Amino acid sequence: MTTLLEAVDLKKTYMLGKVPVEAVRGVNMKVEAGDFVSILGPSGSGKSTMLNLIGALDKPTSGKLLIDGVDISKLNDNQLTDLRRRIGFVFQFFNLIPRLTALGNVELAMSIADVGKFERRQRAAKLLETVGLKDRINHKPAELSGGQQQRVAIARALANNPKFLLLDEPTGNIDSKTAAEVIGLLKKLNIENHVSIIMVTHDQHLAREANRTLQMFDGMLTSEVVNQQ
Amino acid sequence: MKTYDILGYSFSAIKLRKLRAALTTLGVIIGIAAIVALLSITQGLQVSITNDLNRGLSSSTLIVVPGSNALGAVGGGVGGGLGGGRAARGTGTGSINLGGSGAASSGFVLYDNYTSQIDALSPLITSSMAVIERAGYVNADGLNSSSTIYGVDFSQYTGQYPTTFIAASGTIPTNPSNNDIVVGTRVNDPRENGTTLFSAGDNVGIVWTNATTLQIVNETYTAHVSGVLQKVGGFGFGGPSDTGVYMPLSQAESFFGTNQVDYIIVQLKNSDNATITTVSKLITDHFDGQVTVISSTAVLSLLSTIFGTIQLFLGGIAAISLLVAGIGIMNIMIVSLIERTREIGILKALGMKSRTVLSIFLGESAIIGLMGALLGILLGWILANITARLLASGAFGGTGFKVTPLLTPEVFVGSLAFGIGISVIFALYPAWRASKLKPVEALRYE
Repeated sequence: MTTLLEAVDLKKTYMLGKVPVEAVRGVNMKVEAGDFVSILGPSGSGKSTMLNLIGALDKPTSGKLLIDGVDISKLNDNQLTDLRRRIGFVFQFFNLIPRLTALGNVELAMSIADVGKFERRQRAAKLLETVGLKDRINHKPAELSGGQQQRVAIARALANNPKFLLLDEPTGNIDSKTAAEVIGLLKKLNIENHVSIIMVTHDQHLAREANRTLQMFDGMLTSEVVNQQ
Repeated sequence: MKTYDILGYSFSAIKLRKLRAALTTLGVIIGIAAIVALLSITQGLQVSITNDLNRGLSSSTLIVVPGSNALGAVGGGVGGGLGGGRAARGTGTGSINLGGSGAASSGFVLYDNYTSQIDALSPLITSSMAVIERAGYVNADGLNSSSTIYGVDFSQYTGQYPTTFIAASGTIPTNPSNNDIVVGTRVNDPRENGTTLFSAGDNVGIVWTNATTLQIVNETYTAHVSGVLQKVGGFGFGGPSDTGVYMPLSQAESFFGTNQVDYIIVQLKNSDNATITTVSKLITDHFDGQVTVISSTAVLSLLSTIFGTIQLFLGGIAAISLLVAGIGIMNIMIVSLIERTREIGILKALGMKSRTVLSIFLGESAIIGLMGALLGILLGWILANITARLLASGAFGGTGFKVTPLLTPEVFVGSLAFGIGISVIFALYPAWRASKLKPVEALRYE
């Protein structure tokens, strides 16, 4: 098995005004390809900071964070941007571009990665079919339900064949029935399409859907649970 | 990201806020339209004046006027002609009696017999002829038609202006008797409506107000109209004029009681610059620098300098309005940047480079600049043509003044580049700020 993600004594301190806040205080963890891991923690536990670090949106203060074998603390902004194209980010608030259709949103991620027009149209349509939105590809986000929007976001995250999906409270903004559908989709992607998934949440029930749950508290990982499915 | 995709994305952002984009574009349209309208009118004016001058001043001709700085007065005459072409034509002051003021200041005057001195100066000179010019009028059946009276040698003058000094009716006598005259078409038909005061062959009174004597008297004599000239058009600058009355030089000398002449026209063998420069210098030196030699090249270069200044001035004023448009663009881009902070965060999280974010914002303003410039050029061109029509119809006074607006490729390309350039320059700061947004903070922005 190849290692997707490895954190070694990972620390992140940021300034809140003039007060330094130690959000992440020495995290060690490892995620292998094909895994489905959840990071569970209450608000203020530092999980959002972990999310930003794993998503290559921010750089650690100290320690090492290897994503796909590359230490992100040694990368400049441009290289970080390149790395982000290999990570499929799914946000709590979907963060779709409102003026673009479902297809357009998925295509946008590919056009950022310089995929040609013809190829990306086909691939985007196929991805939307995979997430069950075949008959919704020309709808704009405002014309889609929360669950549908989140599925568009998942299709977009998968657009550039990422090393792993990184999800931030993926069901935080949708009703429980739709949430179950989204979770079902994630599991299907993990098992059938071998997509690796890292999910950050404060919802214990949701966290239990992953293969493993890492409990985070006060900037440190306190326990690891292997979930019985 | 590919350029095509960047522009497509920029365009989708513009389309989202159509009214805002339209108003921003309107600023550019007005600025560019003002520049294009002003420049194409002045350039059209320059071309029509230059053509008039070329008709009057053949390039192988020099005009010698008394006074050392008479060319400055030409500038005044041309400049004056710009504002009131009608006035210049009506009184004939647009033509060359400009040496008069120079003569008064230096005390130097030209005499008719200086032509033989000039002829002897260089083999490059074909011939020279003296011209007397006075304001006066023609009286026919009690009706006066104001005009400029010229004393010229008919056969030399015909040789000098073979294309314009042509009789439309009657003839131009080669051996005129003293009371033979030839008149311009507007002397005969002052209102240009076909109502003529007299015909070729009639006798008319020539009147000149003599203010040199103690008591001002109207000198007058009866002349025989040998011919009426074809319509010359234009300002009649230096050449035959539609308001001119032409009499033999000897008659003019006795009528005006002088053998001083106002200027001497020198015909050259060649029209190249070397000949013009050599002969101009020979003549100036011969008269110890007390004359000014006007050549078509000198007048045209002066004219082009004057028009250059006018265009710079007008273009500058118009450019200010474009500057205002630029500030409008900057303002709207900053608003747009703040509104789209989250969007920029998303784009960066998806792996968009800062450079690409910069390009998207610059692309938006470039599209606005391009559309504004194209529509502005169109609007400016329409405005210029409307102005030209109003000028021609006499809406601004007079009987009308024909100008064909001219949109040169330079003005077209220049205003296009200027419109896009201003838009992009003013978008630089907002675009730079957008590109510098940190993805983490931008995503957190509500």
